Amino acid sequence: MLEATGLMVFYENMLALNNVSIRCGENQIVGVFGANSAGKSTLMYALSGIMLDIRKKEEMAGGERITLTGSIRYRDQEIMASKSSRRARLGIVLCPERRRIFKECSVLENLKIGGYLATAAQAQETLEYVFKVFPALTKLKSRLGGFLSGGEQQMLAIGRALMAQPKILLLDEPLLGLSPLMQAMLMHATREIRDERKISIIITEQYARPVIPIINYAFILENGSAVLEGTREELMNNPDVRSAYFGI
Amino acid sequence: MTTGTHQRRKERIDRGIKVRTEGIYALMSWRELVYLIMPRFVIIVGLLVAPLMIPDMYWQRVISIVCIYALLALSFDFLAHQVGLVSLGGAFFVGVGGYLSAVLNSVFGFAALLSIAVATLIGGIVCTLLLLPCLPLRGVYFAIVTLMYPLFMARAIEALDILGGTDGIMGIDSLPSAWMEQYFIIGMLLLFLFGMRRLVNTDLGLVLRAVKDNDQAVRASGMNITSYKALAVFIASAIGCFAGASLVHIYMWAGISTFALDFSVLPIAATVIGGSGTLVGPVIGCLILVPVSELLRDFGTLRIVFYSLILLAFVVFRSEGLMVYGQRKYHQIERWKKI
Repeated sequence: MLEATGLMVFYENMLALNNVSIRCGENQIVGVFGANSAGKSTLMYALSGIMLDIRKKEEMAGGERITLTGSIRYRDQEIMASKSSRRARLGIVLCPERRRIFKECSVLENLKIGGYLATAAQAQETLEYVFKVFPALTKLKSRLGGFLSGGEQQMLAIGRALMAQPKILLLDEPLLGLSPLMQAMLMHATREIRDERKISIIITEQYARPVIPIINYAFILENGSAVLEGTREELMNNPDVRSAYFGI
Repeated sequence: MTTGTHQRRKERIDRGIKVRTEGIYALMSWRELVYLIMPRFVIIVGLLVAPLMIPDMYWQRVISIVCIYALLALSFDFLAHQVGLVSLGGAFFVGVGGYLSAVLNSVFGFAALLSIAVATLIGGIVCTLLLLPCLPLRGVYFAIVTLMYPLFMARAIEALDILGGTDGIMGIDSLPSAWMEQYFIIGMLLLFLFGMRRLVNTDLGLVLRAVKDNDQAVRASGMNITSYKALAVFIASAIGCFAGASLVHIYMWAGISTFALDFSVLPIAATVIGGSGTLVGPVIGCLILVPVSELLRDFGTLRIVFYSLILLAFVVFRSEGLMVYGQRKYHQIERWKKI
């Protein structure tokens, strides 16, 4: 469904992604694991097209020169040159790291903004679905985004991304700073979303343990390179991966 | 893998000479010394020689005005990009400094140089005290308050008919001689310019930059950010007051037009063109903008149209600013590299 090959990203002379190839099949959940500075967020930015925006901004401000090469194919369509807005229209939606909630909008408004691309009927249907998957949000409808707890914000961020009618959802560190209980709940909800909405999902995380039960396939990034990939079972049986990413 | 051995990217690397001159090794060869000193040398000598090269009285006056604006731009750049306070108060600083110096000179009979010095100091204190209430606030408040003060002062002087009212204060002493006037202001500009560059690299400059980046973290480190901001505002407003005081002695007249918003807006435009946060950039921006605006006088009212077009072009095509661009070209080389 989504296949990136030979992705390379340079921040000036620093190589952030080195020839990374990943793919995500129809209706799959794919995990991308790596430590800080492994290139997870860069990969997400490259897949969602935000990198093109960042590159333009840096260029205008006279900052770092960002070089981006490689190929991203989405349903037999080359989208490497497409802007992030076009990719979102095609169904590649990013739920960004650190949530980036609209702090001064209420929960309901946040969700409505997310539904900008959807038709009224789709938006209404998805809105109901979001409140069904995350019942905790129902009581908070009119609360301002900035006053939510970390877990509630994350639910809202995922909900907002769902409102854009994604075919493939990119979750960038959705478990950042959450309690183990909340982590388990979110991962459960993520699997439910995949099953009920037929959405493919790519999740990046540092710590693989809470994510591993729900994924079909995973890639491991180290210093910008994809060093290992495999199905859940293959990774579980690899002793290095177990000690580094599962803490077992 | 289909990826590209045929693909290329442009690589930026520091020139070898830059890497060497960053250490003490600069003293080892003339070439490296020249590399280090050349940019500063061009500015210093260029400014010092300019009045000699241009015998025309009118353009000599323009050079003085360039320096006045450059000082204002310097103070704007320092406040906006080193401390994070966007000030629209150039006109306020000029007006306060100008009127103070005018009063000191014409009423109390201070000599011109002395009244400039005293006006700089007192003006800085007065501006800081008046701006103190909005210093603890973040965001746009500082800009609004600094924009209001010059409007307020101009109308107050007009309505209350104080300080000479609409006629202004006339008969102010000029500086002792024309050459002295010319070189006094150029010398002070150079002094302030290189002084500020030193200042932002001291510990104080570091704290101020930290206040700009994350004031809560600075507060958490046990520092009183309001007093640091007040100090920065004092430095910037003193520079502005100095510019105003000098201006008044050049024109030998202080009037409501010293509170004109030109003094707020043009320095900001110069900062955009020159490259924000570089301190030298705004000076270079003024060196370009003020003469251009004089040259465009032939076009009458169309002047503003051309002026705006030049500004627009800069913002759209070179928004990083001349100085940032120039520094990069000077210190780094670019070359194509295979991926």
